[in-house]
Amino acid sequence: MKQVLLGLLVLTGFSLWSQSEIKGRIVDQKGEAILGVNVYIDGTYDGTVTDTNGVFSFKTTETGVKSLVASFLSYESFKKTGNVQTLTNLTIKLRESVNALDAVVITAGTFEAGEKARISVLKPLDIVTTAGAAGDIIGALTTLPGAQTVGEDGRLFVRGGEANETQTFVDGVRVPQPYSPTANNTPTRSRFSPFLFNGVSFSTGGYSAEYGEALSSVLSLNTIAEPVQNQTDISLMTVGVGLGNTRKWEKQSVTFNLNYINLGPYQKLVPQKLDWNKPVQSSGGEVVYRFKFKNGLLRAYGAFDISNLDINSEDVNQPTKIRYALRNGNSYGNLSYKGNLSKEWFIHTGVSYGIGTNKISIADDRLNNTENAMHLKLKLTRSLSERVSIYGGLDYFYTDFDEKYTEASGREFPVGFTNHLGAAYVESDIFFSKNLALKLGGRASRNDLLDEYHFNPRASMAYKVYTNSQFSFAFGDFVQTPNADYVKYNQNLSSERALHYILNYQYNKNGRLFRSEVYVKDYQNLIKFNTLRPQFNSQYTNGGSGYARGLDLFWRDSKTIKNTDYWISYSYIDSERDYLNFPNRATPSFIATHTASIVTKHWIDKLTSQIGFSYTVNSGRPFNNPNEGMFMNGKTKAFQNLSFNWAYLMTQQKILYFSISNIFGTDNVFGYQYANTPDMNGQFQRRAITQPADRFVFVGFFWTISADKKKNQLNNL
Amino acid sequence: MRKFIVLAIMLVGLVTYGQTAFEKGMGKAMSLWGEGKINEASAMFERIATVEQDNWLPNYYVALVNTTASFTMKDKTQIDALLKKAQTALDVELKKQPNHPELLVMQAMIHTAWINFDPMTNGMKLSGPVMELYSKAEALAPENPRVVFGKTEFEMGSAKFFGTDIKPLCAKAEKAIELFATFKAETAFHPSWGQDRAQAMVAACK
Repeated sequence: MKQVLLGLLVLTGFSLWSQSEIKGRIVDQKGEAILGVNVYIDGTYDGTVTDTNGVFSFKTTETGVKSLVASFLSYESFKKTGNVQTLTNLTIKLRESVNALDAVVITAGTFEAGEKARISVLKPLDIVTTAGAAGDIIGALTTLPGAQTVGEDGRLFVRGGEANETQTFVDGVRVPQPYSPTANNTPTRSRFSPFLFNGVSFSTGGYSAEYGEALSSVLSLNTIAEPVQNQTDISLMTVGVGLGNTRKWEKQSVTFNLNYINLGPYQKLVPQKLDWNKPVQSSGGEVVYRFKFKNGLLRAYGAFDISNLDINSEDVNQPTKIRYALRNGNSYGNLSYKGNLSKEWFIHTGVSYGIGTNKISIADDRLNNTENAMHLKLKLTRSLSERVSIYGGLDYFYTDFDEKYTEASGREFPVGFTNHLGAAYVESDIFFSKNLALKLGGRASRNDLLDEYHFNPRASMAYKVYTNSQFSFAFGDFVQTPNADYVKYNQNLSSERALHYILNYQYNKNGRLFRSEVYVKDYQNLIKFNTLRPQFNSQYTNGGSGYARGLDLFWRDSKTIKNTDYWISYSYIDSERDYLNFPNRATPSFIATHTASIVTKHWIDKLTSQIGFSYTVNSGRPFNNPNEGMFMNGKTKAFQNLSFNWAYLMTQQKILYFSISNIFGTDNVFGYQYANTPDMNGQFQRRAITQPADRFVFVGFFWTISADKKKNQLNNL
Repeated sequence: MRKFIVLAIMLVGLVTYGQTAFEKGMGKAMSLWGEGKINEASAMFERIATVEQDNWLPNYYVALVNTTASFTMKDKTQIDALLKKAQTALDVELKKQPNHPELLVMQAMIHTAWINFDPMTNGMKLSGPVMELYSKAEALAPENPRVVFGKTEFEMGSAKFFGTDIKPLCAKAEKAIELFATFKAETAFHPSWGQDRAQAMVAACK
C-alpha cells in the first residue's frame, strides 16, 4: 500500500516539476497589442488567450519539440516549432489576413449581387423587387450607373457601347443569344427567369482576362447551387401563366420552370399604339440540374423558347403600314463543373451550345436565319499562398451563322460565316497586404475567320486608404469580332477594339455604400460602311473610332430610414463615335448625357406588404434631322418614368402582386425616324418613336406549395 | 483513521486520474462559459477540437458559444465575426455527420442569428432553409426536445408576424417540455439546454 501511495505522490510531484511556463506578447504589424488571440501548444489542450495588452502566459507539461500556435480570426495563423523550453518570452507579430471581411477588394468596374460578394451593390432580391424592372434581370441592372435606359430596345447599353458589346455568361459559360428578338422599336426582355439565379456580377469595364469577345461589359449569372426544398410554384398573371417545380434529393436536385405568355387579352383591354395582327406569344421553359460531388458541383442548365408576333408597323418611307411577322425559336444548354482537384488546385470547366432561328417576313419578303454557337471553357486556379493565386485557362468559341433573304419575286440572297476563335489567358491575384491588391493578366486569342492574332493585357489594383474607403484602378485592352450584321457580308475585316481606364472610389459602412467612378474608353477599328443600311454590296472598313468618358455615382442606404432601402444612381457621359454610316464623329442616338435613377423599397409590417417606387430620368437623346445641315444635331426632350409596385403577402405562401409603370403617362419620345427622301416641299418627313403604350399595368397571383408552408415567391417578383 | 486517510487519498487520486483530460478540458471550458468569458471558453473548445478530431462536441460548443453570444451583441462587425467563427466550426462536424439532429439544430440557430442580424436581407433568404433543417432534424429525431422546441420557437416568430393562430404552437411547446423532462443526455457534455426557454414560451402563451 505504501508503495502505491509513494508512486502516486511521485507521479504527481513529477508532473508538477516538469511543467514549463510559456509567456509572450502578440502584436499586429504596427506593434499594437491584439486581444483574444488563442495561443496553444499544437495537439494539446494547453493554452490561453491574450489579454488587453496582448500578453499571454500558460503552463504546460509537454516536453521536447512542439509547435506553438497563435490563431485569431482575420489574422493569418502563426506557428513556431521548437523545444518547449525555448518557446517562451516571444513577441509574435501576426499578419492581417487578406480574407478578412474588411480587406481590400478590386472593385473598379464591377457590380456584384450575391451571397459571395463581399460588398454587394445589389442584393439578389433586388433584381426582382425593383419597381419598373418587371422581373427582368436586365431591367434592374439599368437602374445602376453606367447603363443607359434605352426604352425602345430593352437591352443593356453600357458606357457608350452598343448592346452587342455586352457578353452574357451563365455559370461561366457564354450565352450567345441572351435576348428574345422583337419587332423594331419594341423593347425586348432577357430570356432568364430570375427564379433560377442567385448571383449576378455586372461589369461595366476593366474586367478580368478570363473574359473576351466583349468591348464594353460582361454580365455573369450564376444558377442557384442548392435549392432549399421540394416545392411547386404557380403563377397566374394578366399576361400569362407559369409553373415551376423543384425536387431535391440527397446529392442532386432539379428545377424546371415553364411559362406561357400571351399579351392578347391585355392588349384588348388596354389600347396600344401599335397595330398588332397577332400579339406577342411565347412559350418557354428552363431546367437546372445539379449534382453534388464530394469536392465539386456539376450543373446543367437548359432553356428553350418559341415566340411569335405579327405587327403592322409604321414606316415613314411607306404610305401604308408594313406587315412584320416573326417566329423565333431558341434552345440553349450548358454543362459546367466547379470543384477542387486538391487543396491548391481548383477547376472550372464547361461547355455550352445555343441554336437560334428566326423566320421573319417583312411585307412579302422573307428573312430566315440560324445561328449555332458553342463555347468550351477550361479554367484552372492554383493558390500559391493565402496572398497569391494564379489562374489560367482556355476558351474555344464556335459560331456558325446562315441567313437567306428571299424577295417576293423568289430571288434568294444567301449569306453566312463560320468562325472558330481560340483564346488562352493567365492572370494572377496578389495581395501585398490587407490594404493593397493587384490583379495582372493577359489574354491571347486567335480569330480564324478574320485571320488575326491578339494579345490583350489587363491590370487592376486596389488600395485601401482608410477603414471603410478604398481606391481602385483598372486598365484593359479588349477586342471583339464585329457584329454578324456586317461579318455576314464581309469577312475581310478586323476585330473592333476598346481600351478602358477606370478610377474608382468606394466607401462602405454599416448598410451605406457610396461609389464613384470616372472612366475613359478609347474605341478603335470600328466598322464603317457607305450605304443607308448594311448590305451585301456595301463597302466595309475598320476605319471607325470613338471615345466615351464619364462619371458614375451610386449611393445606397438601408439604414437611415427604418424598413426602407433606397439607392440613387447618376451617370454623366460624353461620347462620340465615327462608325457605321456616320459622316463624321457624333454622339450616337442611344446615349443620353445625364441619366439618374432613384429606387426605393419599403416594408410595411401592418399590411405585410412591400411597396416600391422607381424613378428614372434622362436628358434628351440625339437624333439626326436631315432637314438640318449638321449630322445628329437634334435632341429629344427629356425622358422620365415613375413606376410603382406592391407585393402583398396574403399568407406566407400566397402573394398578390401589382405593378404599374410610367404612372403619370409621360409621353416619352425615344427618337425620330426620318424619310429617306424629301417630300414635294423639300422637307424630310418624320415619325416619332414612342412607347408601345403609356402605362403598363401588371397584376399577378403567386402561390407556392411546399411541405413546410414557409417559402414564397417574393424572391421572384 | 489511518486507513481512512489512505482510502481518501486513493479516492482523490483515482478521481483525478479517472477524469480524462477531455473531461477536465471540457469542464474547464464550460465553467469559463458559465463565467461569461466567451472568448476564453471558445478558445478552450477550439483547442480541444484540434486534439479530439473524432468527437463532435468541442466544435459544437464553439458554434453554440459564439452563436448565443451574437444574440446579445449590437456591433455588426462583431456579430459577423462570431457567426462566421460558429459556422466554420460547425462545417467541420457537419461534413463528417450531415444527418446529426443536434448539428442540424445548431445550423438552424446560426441561420436564425443571421436573420436577426439583418431581417430585410436574410429573412426571406434563410427562413426556408431554417424550416428545412428543422423538418429534417424532426424526421431523424422526433423525440429530441431541442428539435421540437427550436422548430416551434421559429414558427412562433412568423405566426406572430402574420397574425396567425398560435394555440397549436403553444401546445407543441408544452410537448417539448415533456420531452425535456424525459430526455437523458448521453454524457454530461452532450447538449441538454433549452428547457428554460421552452418554459418561458409556455408562460408567455398563458
